[in-house]
Amino acid sequence: MKRGKRRWVMGFFVLSFVFLCFAPGISFSQQTKPLVLGTTDKITVLDPAKTYDFYTWEVFQNIGEGLLKYKPGTTELIPGIAKSYEVSSDGLEYTFKLREGLKFTDGYPLNAAAVKWSIDRVMKLDLDPSWLVSAFVDRVEVVDTYTVKFVLKEPVSFFPALVATTPYTPVSPKSFPEDKVAEPTVGHYGPYRIKKWTRDVQLVLEANPDYYGSPPKSRLFVVKFYKNAATMRLALETGEIDVAWKSLRPIDIKDLKAKGKQKVLEAPGPYIRYIICRCNKPPFDDVRLRRAVAAAIDRDRICQEAYKGTVKPLYSMVPMGMWSHIDAFKQEYGERNLELARKILAEAGYSKDNPFNIEFWYTPTHYGDLEADVAAIIKESLEETGMIKVELKSAEWATYAAKYLTAGVMPIFLLGWYPDYIDPDDYTSIFLHSEWSPDMGVFYSNPEMDRLLDKARTEIGIEKRTELYEKVQKLMAEEAPVIPLFQGILTAATQPNVKGVVLDPVMLLKYYLIYKE
Amino acid sequence: MSEKVEVKYSISRFIVSKIKNIFPQKGTEYFALVGFILILLIILMAIFAPFIAPYNPIKKVGDILQEPSSKFLLGTDGLGRDVLSRIIFGARTAILVTLLAVSISLSFGVLLGLLSGYTGGKFDTVFSLVMDAVYSFPGLILAIVLAAMLGPGILNTAVAIAVIYTPTYFRMVRGLVLSLKESLFVEAARAIGANDRTIVFKYIFPNVISSIPIVLSLNAADAVLTLAALSFLGLGLPAPTPDWGFDLRAGHAYLASKIWWPSTFPGLMIVILTLGFSLLGEGLNEILNPELRR
Amino acid sequence: MASLRVYVIRRVLLAIPMIFILLGIVFFIMRVVGDPVSAILGGHAPQEQIEQIKEQLGLNKPVLFQFFDYLGQLLRGDLGRSLIWGQRPVISEIWDHFPATLELSICAFLVSILVGIFTGIIAATNFGRFFDHAFRLYGIITYGLFIPWIGIMLQLIFGVYLGLLPIGGRIGTLMEPETITGLYVLDSLLTLNMESLISAIKHLILPSLTLGIYLSGIYTRLTRTHLIEVFSKDFIKSAWARGLPKRAVIYKHALKNAFIPILTMMGLQFALLLVGAVLTEITFSWPGMGTLLFERITYRDFTTVQGIIVFFALIVITVSLLVDVIYAYVDPRIRY
Repeated sequence: MKRGKRRWVMGFFVLSFVFLCFAPGISFSQQTKPLVLGTTDKITVLDPAKTYDFYTWEVFQNIGEGLLKYKPGTTELIPGIAKSYEVSSDGLEYTFKLREGLKFTDGYPLNAAAVKWSIDRVMKLDLDPSWLVSAFVDRVEVVDTYTVKFVLKEPVSFFPALVATTPYTPVSPKSFPEDKVAEPTVGHYGPYRIKKWTRDVQLVLEANPDYYGSPPKSRLFVVKFYKNAATMRLALETGEIDVAWKSLRPIDIKDLKAKGKQKVLEAPGPYIRYIICRCNKPPFDDVRLRRAVAAAIDRDRICQEAYKGTVKPLYSMVPMGMWSHIDAFKQEYGERNLELARKILAEAGYSKDNPFNIEFWYTPTHYGDLEADVAAIIKESLEETGMIKVELKSAEWATYAAKYLTAGVMPIFLLGWYPDYIDPDDYTSIFLHSEWSPDMGVFYSNPEMDRLLDKARTEIGIEKRTELYEKVQKLMAEEAPVIPLFQGILTAATQPNVKGVVLDPVMLLKYYLIYKE
Repeated sequence: MSEKVEVKYSISRFIVSKIKNIFPQKGTEYFALVGFILILLIILMAIFAPFIAPYNPIKKVGDILQEPSSKFLLGTDGLGRDVLSRIIFGARTAILVTLLAVSISLSFGVLLGLLSGYTGGKFDTVFSLVMDAVYSFPGLILAIVLAAMLGPGILNTAVAIAVIYTPTYFRMVRGLVLSLKESLFVEAARAIGANDRTIVFKYIFPNVISSIPIVLSLNAADAVLTLAALSFLGLGLPAPTPDWGFDLRAGHAYLASKIWWPSTFPGLMIVILTLGFSLLGEGLNEILNPELRR
Repeated sequence: MASLRVYVIRRVLLAIPMIFILLGIVFFIMRVVGDPVSAILGGHAPQEQIEQIKEQLGLNKPVLFQFFDYLGQLLRGDLGRSLIWGQRPVISEIWDHFPATLELSICAFLVSILVGIFTGIIAATNFGRFFDHAFRLYGIITYGLFIPWIGIMLQLIFGVYLGLLPIGGRIGTLMEPETITGLYVLDSLLTLNMESLISAIKHLILPSLTLGIYLSGIYTRLTRTHLIEVFSKDFIKSAWARGLPKRAVIYKHALKNAFIPILTMMGLQFALLLVGAVLTEITFSWPGMGTLLFERITYRDFTTVQGIIVFFALIVITVSLLVDVIYAYVDPRIRY
């Protein structure tokens, strides 16, 4: 090859490189331009009987629909697949009348038998989310082709909220096996159906032509899965995606707001973070020590320093925005009360020379990478009393979850909560009721608290329930078995021409409302 | 006047020719020197870190993600810590773990290589096979799994790295031993009644040593990269220990905001240290086994 | 070619104990060195939890039994099931991610060869002069470059500041070509899908450059050394003396012979390629085996991790076997 020829080859490569760099973003020749949503979450298992994470539930809210569903932007339940329902006078039987003539996306008829089959399947498989059914439902009966009856074990006033959760979503016996987990892309019924799913890469949804209600605002909806927020954010800025959903870092949000090109939407999210104390063994079987920690915690520092103001201090386990919420811990301890903490510690026999030694646990990646900072801030805040010495310990999520779920190894640790169902009960019973608190590593047992919680979940009237939950929160603040820290803010960043992103307390984004102008 | 100039001229010519004698061929011999200087600088950085670094590397000393300025020469990272200080202290972990890992693999590799090569037989066959297997397998992947199983920490990380480099020394030493085993002077030693142990350590070993420094340097370069990779993946040392690989990863998240300094500088240090060892190794190779001229 | 067949058979037989040993080592690490139970559960789990996990992982039997069980499984092509989420078969997980790694590796390899040979030629033809030293330095530097760092620098320059190239992912939204091989470039060409082709290539550029440049140094040195040696041969000198153009001589004689050492080097470099691919994938969010490995290690999904390692081991051994066989085919001298 002559020298000249070599130059040609080099030139060719350089030119192609330049060309490719500048090749315009290819626009679609198809009629429908999809709406593209980016997320760093992932679909874990596409089976309502097994999946127990928030993102997959969000997907099911769009490809599936429950007997009841939430009115967008509210926590009000409206008819879904069921056009009406009746409750028996003893509160034990819920009879749903289904809409007629509906079919799953695999062609199988969506009738009472199919609903019963789906619920029975969830109970039989007995996997992570099954308790949401099995703990409440005794059995399901088919009354006639389009009427199905749920018989409960005891009356619970929030059963309608339960019915709207993913485990209750009917699925088709034709596509789902009865005895094991499966992830078919057909066999659901909802506003969208799955056109194509490439695991961890993208989910392509198209409008379900058989949907009874108004069609989704965007005929074609694509979810792109990103491995990290930085790439996703760049994709938003270059126009590759239309919506960046959650997980944007505080700095990204700040930058995007400053640049002003994209819209940034924020709303309080029902996602809370808190500290759990192990109440059945030393040292936190002593309520005074729990109160001391509750008084010494510095929520502002956590929210401002670690999260740059993208979360809000939380003073009750019932989140802000949910009915019955009161700032119980603020009422009890103020925003922060070091003096009270020191006083309590002194009473308990601790001092500067004899500090209270705490082994404080956290998990470094499951809740985002700011967790180590949160733990560090908590350590500093507690040690500010001068009478506490904190040793920070951490474990990977799998270990962490196994440890707290069964062994009660961690005396005090950080945890988070996404709601299963939208009701104050979901934020209280599981932590405070003696029957369930061991499952969360709290091991708290107080007959008065049990009584209040039991009454609140069976009471039907919302005013009475509110009163009861307020009492629950006050008692919780006094005894501090769990200490709420902060509540998350939901953020979505969108291109300026995107509309219909409704951030509601349910926190599961309704893709079928989003569209581009 | 011309005489003075002439004398000066000849003196300078003399000096230059003397220098040319030491460095006969322009260029590549400098490699070793440059490499050595780079390594030395970083070692000094590590030793004198508390004195050189302007701030405490694990404490927040300013607003987060500040641009490089007169106050923070290389800017601050995502937690408000001074990047420069973190780099300086990062030298400690880099040097410490690298040296530890290399020492471990050197000791075990050389020892096992000597024994295996000399003993021969089934022992040797089995050992060589195992070492070859480890050697042929992608090192970092093995190190990743080891580090994940062993957990974070200086010793654990060093061990994970050491395991994948032991075969390098093993194979080299064993090869040398095998070739020396049948040589005349070893025969002679046996003839005068020296026992095996003496033969191995007094006769064979000294001949093996001279090959080690080159391999050592290149190996150290590799080890720095492996350590950086492990830290990059979060498998090395626990936070908040200043560590170049870890900081590189942490800074990556801020890329989209055009915040380049938290990742650029730690990464640069990794490259410099690796380069130092590589240059030293290559340079030594040049000096000891110089290339034939055309 | 009887002797070739004999060589191949011998080589394959040699590979078998190698596989055993590698599998054994992997097994050893996963079971004995680290205690998978405590890694999953932590130190203080109650006995029943420990027993449960042990049952699940089959750790109750003696290690040797477990090893043979596993070997049996492998022979049936069963790599086990993931421990997390949907418990998909490990084979499916690997199969989902392998094409991405393959495509990246091939492209990076091409880049490395092209750049390496090119720079090697320049160095050799400028022996002793500036370009020679410059490219020898290049060879040393590239070997020491930390892949994530190169990747991040390229992302900053071309992705963030210039906004020309994507910094993550394999292809643009909804642009995947029909799946024939799983390699987007190939599939795009086969289905004549220009949009996909351009998008796929755009996404491949930065990762391939990163990995390719890193690997090229070795080929620079190889080419250079080889060419220098060839230049010193008498028959070359006589060809020049007879007035044949230098270029023709280089490319006709020298490079042809360089094929063998380069091939050998490819085989030896293969492990390095895999390692580099893992790091590159993680830096560029490339959905390949490296990302899978890293993800599963984070989630303590041991069966999948073990399956991936076994898969890598098998590939490495197969590749080195192939390289040896090709080498033997091309150069009969080494068959003996």
